[in-house]
Amino acid sequence: MVNGRRVSKAVKGTYLALIIAFLYLPILVMIALSFNKSVSRAEWTGFTLDWYAKLLVSDAILSALKVTLSVAVTAAVVSTVIGTLAAIGMHAMKQGWSDLMVTLSYLPMTTPDIVTGVSLMLMFVFMKVPLNGGTMLMAHIAFDTPYVVFSVMPRLKQMDPNMYEAALDLGCKPMEAIVKVIIPEIKPGIVTGALMAFTMSIDDFVISYFTSNTAQNLSMLVYSSARRGVEPTMYALSTLMFAVVLALLLVVNRRNSLEEM
Amino acid sequence: MVQDMRLIELKGVCKSFGDTRVLHDVNLYIRKCEFITLLGPSGCGKTTMLRIIGGFETPSEGEVYFDGKDLTGIPPYKRRINTVFQKYALFTHLNVFDNIAFGLKLKTPETLGVKTKREAKAEIEKRVQRMLKLVKMEGYEKRSVDSLSGGQQQRIAIARALVNEPEVLLLDEPLGALDLKLRKEMQLELKSMQQQLGITFIYVTHDQEEALTMSDTVVVLNGGRIQQIGDPKRIYDEPKNAFVADFIGESNILPGIMLEDELVEFAGREFPCVDEGFDANEPVDVVVRPEDIMVVGSDVGMLTGTVESVLFKGVHYEMMIHTGDFRWKVHSTTMQPVGSEVGLSIVPFNIHIMRREAKP
Amino acid sequence: MKRSWLATPYAIWMLMFTLVPLVFVVYYAFTTKAGDVTIQNFAKVFTPGNLQVLVDSLRLALFCTVLCLVLGFPAAYFLSGKDFSHNQTLVVLILVPMWMNFLLRTYAMMTILENNGVLNTVLTAIGLPKVSLIGTEAAVLMGMVYNFLPFMVLPIYTVLKKLDRRVIEAAEDLGANPMQVFVKVVIPLSVPGVVSGITMVFMPAVTTFAISRLLGSGMIYLVGDMIEDYYITFTNRQVGSALSLVMLVLVMLSIGLLRRVDPKGEGGGMW
Repeated sequence: MVNGRRVSKAVKGTYLALIIAFLYLPILVMIALSFNKSVSRAEWTGFTLDWYAKLLVSDAILSALKVTLSVAVTAAVVSTVIGTLAAIGMHAMKQGWSDLMVTLSYLPMTTPDIVTGVSLMLMFVFMKVPLNGGTMLMAHIAFDTPYVVFSVMPRLKQMDPNMYEAALDLGCKPMEAIVKVIIPEIKPGIVTGALMAFTMSIDDFVISYFTSNTAQNLSMLVYSSARRGVEPTMYALSTLMFAVVLALLLVVNRRNSLEEM
Repeated sequence: MVQDMRLIELKGVCKSFGDTRVLHDVNLYIRKCEFITLLGPSGCGKTTMLRIIGGFETPSEGEVYFDGKDLTGIPPYKRRINTVFQKYALFTHLNVFDNIAFGLKLKTPETLGVKTKREAKAEIEKRVQRMLKLVKMEGYEKRSVDSLSGGQQQRIAIARALVNEPEVLLLDEPLGALDLKLRKEMQLELKSMQQQLGITFIYVTHDQEEALTMSDTVVVLNGGRIQQIGDPKRIYDEPKNAFVADFIGESNILPGIMLEDELVEFAGREFPCVDEGFDANEPVDVVVRPEDIMVVGSDVGMLTGTVESVLFKGVHYEMMIHTGDFRWKVHSTTMQPVGSEVGLSIVPFNIHIMRREAKP
Repeated sequence: MKRSWLATPYAIWMLMFTLVPLVFVVYYAFTTKAGDVTIQNFAKVFTPGNLQVLVDSLRLALFCTVLCLVLGFPAAYFLSGKDFSHNQTLVVLILVPMWMNFLLRTYAMMTILENNGVLNTVLTAIGLPKVSLIGTEAAVLMGMVYNFLPFMVLPIYTVLKKLDRRVIEAAEDLGANPMQVFVKVVIPLSVPGVVSGITMVFMPAVTTFAISRLLGSGMIYLVGDMIEDYYITFTNRQVGSALSLVMLVLVMLSIGLLRRVDPKGEGGGMW
């Protein structure tokens, strides 16, 4: 019995290791190549940080980075505010209305990105709004906010149903009750939502691609340069972005596990 | 009753949620310093009534008066009423001290009776300490509320409400989550707190024993209607209808016919009773409490029956005795063996006659 | 209740940037360039050539979904078990790539599969013949599976993790052997997660255009590429919109069908 268990554990472990290898091999190769002197991927000709240096002086990359970060930060902040207020409002609504709102929130999540992208493009073009960083930002807020709503809602549902009323009962005006009691109680959900919005925004390619012409974010830059052929500066960029995402995820995960304790 | 003793008065209060009406024409007054309990099965409208008094719901019809003034439209934060919620609704992001101090911190120094913010802080500290002492939770100031047991959370919830010195304290099934022993202790403590502070307690429960133990007045509700208002003894001894009789304590309820004043027929024979004022041959409900039935020899009883089952209940035995057309629940300190023939006897005073009411 | 009004900005935003744009898609799909109502655009969508692209896309997406399910279910099941004491770390490990920009992931895949890429370098080094993968359906499929696998693992894992262990113990108690427990208890109870995983893989797979562009190097042409071309290259918004609408209806229909399997929607999203 004990032996059988050990064997089964070994089989499971090997399987998981293979899956993880499959998922990480390309990333690791890319990280390695970002330090490779040779432009060719065929051979390792020595360690270099040149590609990172090139990255830092490339106007295209720096401006894409600026677009990506400013859109991601603004979209995350705006969608966190709108989304948190929305979740609180939906929580207080009559069942039918909040169901309707939940369905509406699922809509962008179940619409393929490409359709969301072209639909927004059509609207902006029809209304003669130039496609730039501004339109990209509006689109990002639209697809970020449901994620905030869905990470705040469960917190509100877990909360004692009388929490808001207890605050009123003790002398809070409605707005005070939300600021002093509801928001602190659901803070972990808000933070998770904000981080998710930020990551989703950084990650987005398809919707940005269709909603902006003049401003290019990093994903769009990767796409256009990949169509021209592989360039090692892109490896350096990928490595940096991977590190950032990893760091962000570690923060989120740490938060979550701290809460569980 | 003297008019000015009425602190809270509900006049013709109705409440509907959508198409369902949960309160029908409720009229009730609550006196100063009274311990009043709203008692009824779940869904009877008792919590809705409490929420209307607290200001969390507005009545669909009717008015609520507080000290003679109409409360309609006054939000909860402007009412001198505080609430102990069912699951306490403690603020998990604050520690014990800050939970209790929450209401006081919202007040200006002037309303706390001091001049500066610094003095206010000291005053808050003093009042919170006093409350912690009242609920026997001294030394727990810095604890997080999540780390407390159910009973301790309960005490903090009471302290958090009482520290605001309300004129009325609303309690919504506050003991529901506690185990039996703790419940009994808290019942006594709540009662003594109420007497010590001299404020009105409005208490909601579905537990009839709790209601009878603690209250000055019990309001029995069913289906959104007040069934009976009275002091516990009266409610128990003189239930106004079959619902109250059945809900409060245990009862044998059976159909009967009022033959004439002080004479009723049920269970196949006539019984002398003490009730008057019914029509001749009016159909009625007859209620007899299990402890009011005497078990006697089978040859001397008013009824004879067979013992079907016996359960030991601690203080007494509960026997089911079958008399041919009715199964009586009988409480007695002496046990009769299962299968034995016994006689049952009921004195006139213990037969309660209820008018049949059209079902709501 | 005043609090419900707090949802107003959100409701307005969602209407303006989710619903109204979709109305524009419908509008363009049913009008000519001059603005007259027509169904000609759909006729152009369903030409034999385009239909072939549609069929190819559905086929590839289906393969991708099945592969992800076959590879992902065991992974999720093993992770949810108690065999791995550090499985929280393993879960994070599997999920991290999901959070990495999918273009970068595709880019990485490209590096490996290219004709003079890492894979062929390794093959040459150990004396094997080169393989020409880039530009084949296999490469696109591999890229899709690589990109979307975590989206299958996560929802199934979440459902299995929440599964009450006592249910399994109860099944064992009632005499089921491990295989029977798996088939009769674990699989049926994991349906919500599977449904959610299939949705999360199939939908992006059937509409992708970047993966096919980069790994198909122009040889593999999918619906996503076609939509992109109609809008960006041909600037024919009318046919592009008709095509998008067909796509949207297809995706909504398949999600609707899947929801029937899991009417309560317990699989939830990703959190």
